[in-house]
Amino acid sequence: MTKKQTRLILYPVMILITLVVVFPFLWMLMLSFKSSGEILSDPLAFPTSLNLENFANALNTLNFPQLYANTFLICAASLIFELAITFLSSFALARLEFPVPKVRTLIYSFLILGLSVSPFILLFPVYKINVFFGLRGKLALVLPYVATSISFNTLLLVGYLKALPPEIDEAAIIDGCNVWDLMLRVTLPMAKPVIATIVIFNVLYIWNEFPFASVMLRDAADYTLSMGTSFFKGTYTVDYGGIVATSVMIIIPELIFYGIFQKNIVDGMTAGAVKG
Amino acid sequence: MHWLSKKRYLVGMTLPSLLVYTVYIILPIGIAVYYSLTKYSGIGKPTFVGFLNYARMLEDKVFWTSLKNTMIMFVLAFALLLTLSFLLALLLNSRLKFADLSKSLIFSPAIIAPIIVGIIWVYILDPNIGVINNLLDAIGASALKQKWIGGEVLSPYSIAVIYFWQQLGYLTTIFIAGLKMIPEDVLEAATIDGTTFPQKVRFVILPMMKTTISTVAVLIITGVFKIFEIVQQTTGGGPNHLSETLVTYSYAQTFDSGNYGYGMSLATFTSLLSLLITAIYSLLTRNKED
Repeated sequence: MTKKQTRLILYPVMILITLVVVFPFLWMLMLSFKSSGEILSDPLAFPTSLNLENFANALNTLNFPQLYANTFLICAASLIFELAITFLSSFALARLEFPVPKVRTLIYSFLILGLSVSPFILLFPVYKINVFFGLRGKLALVLPYVATSISFNTLLLVGYLKALPPEIDEAAIIDGCNVWDLMLRVTLPMAKPVIATIVIFNVLYIWNEFPFASVMLRDAADYTLSMGTSFFKGTYTVDYGGIVATSVMIIIPELIFYGIFQKNIVDGMTAGAVKG
Repeated sequence: MHWLSKKRYLVGMTLPSLLVYTVYIILPIGIAVYYSLTKYSGIGKPTFVGFLNYARMLEDKVFWTSLKNTMIMFVLAFALLLTLSFLLALLLNSRLKFADLSKSLIFSPAIIAPIIVGIIWVYILDPNIGVINNLLDAIGASALKQKWIGGEVLSPYSIAVIYFWQQLGYLTTIFIAGLKMIPEDVLEAATIDGTTFPQKVRFVILPMMKTTISTVAVLIITGVFKIFEIVQQTTGGGPNHLSETLVTYSYAQTFDSGNYGYGMSLATFTSLLSLLITAIYSLLTRNKED
């Protein structure tokens, strides 16, 4: 077979696989314009008109601005906190000298260990710890999200900071920098790309996170986006149209976010895997 | 350089991370193991019962069902994902036009909320309103209709397929990153020597991808033991607990039934099983390399 012939076979295969993967998204988008009745009675039929009733219904049932605001607040608080503490510790682990080098390895390995801990063993104990500290509502989610990000952030930050040339530090010290100048004015600006990856990756994680949110959030006023869909499942009825429209309104911004920050998202998700 | 190694800085800088991490990741594991050895309904104090909860698992039918379902999902997802994401990586790495676009699209299920992944697939697999059964009806093949979800048999298989859809692009991307690390000249040398493509894969690419393959394998193993939202949305563990997995059953026992002790013993068991399978996998592949 010539190269051209091989390509003639490979193209249809590639296109077919892509279409199969994308189909569920398109299907949901199509359904979101059909009423619950139409979804039930004739699922395969195309919508006869651009019926926006489901979206109106979803917007009436759910307080979308509040869901987005809650998610954003929890996200911002967690990110500021986790970046502050993991940048500090990663800077020490990557750029400072430990009197006993083994201690550095030990601390690093200890902090990385969390990558293999399943969140499901943590749910109830973390709930108990939050109760102990008196943390409730949105606040109850911040520390768990910070804690679960520490391993990942350490992996990425230490890896990145270690690769920066040591001459930079030496020059800065000769110029009279103290440790805080070095960290905040010299190292931090150079770490911007990896911090961007961490921010984007963690935004996505918190946007999507469900298990912790479902355990910690009792009051509907505190709900995050991933909790939103649960409003439509009544005890006896399921509002199919409402669920579909809600889902579309959650994932469209997400897919746009992915479109814009694709490189960082893919980098973050694969870096954790390839380096670990 | 006087302050580069001052203990004051080293301790002060690492302490906040260590503290939050210890209190919210390490300590909870200890607490989970502790509760797994008690009977606790949320009121009063937990009573220590030793390994009674673990013994109870052996006689609990639903436990065995969830173990079986979890293993079905694991075997099916492992076989499908490991082979097909590798093949797809070969395809998308072959410098076809639009391969990058195709890669971005195939990756997209990995970035949306798992809970929405579950919702999307309800509309595909549901026996009444789902695409598949209605299509089968439409083409006159009603005999092939199945209860893909919510029936007595197929749910774990369907959930493995959903998980496959969610993870395919992500794992393919990791494989592509591995493929890109193989030096060009090695591949060229193989081409000049006249090897066919399957030979090249078998004798050049696969041996050079060992690390990436184990990475992907470990990601699948640990990932399967975290599948939760997909089950919650598609079947909720039902009917009659038949589609329960270890994770959903442990969640239900803990948060729905309030059997905190038993729930924690299920969670502990699940984590240990996931570690055990990872360890077995590493041992098996290490022997092969020698």
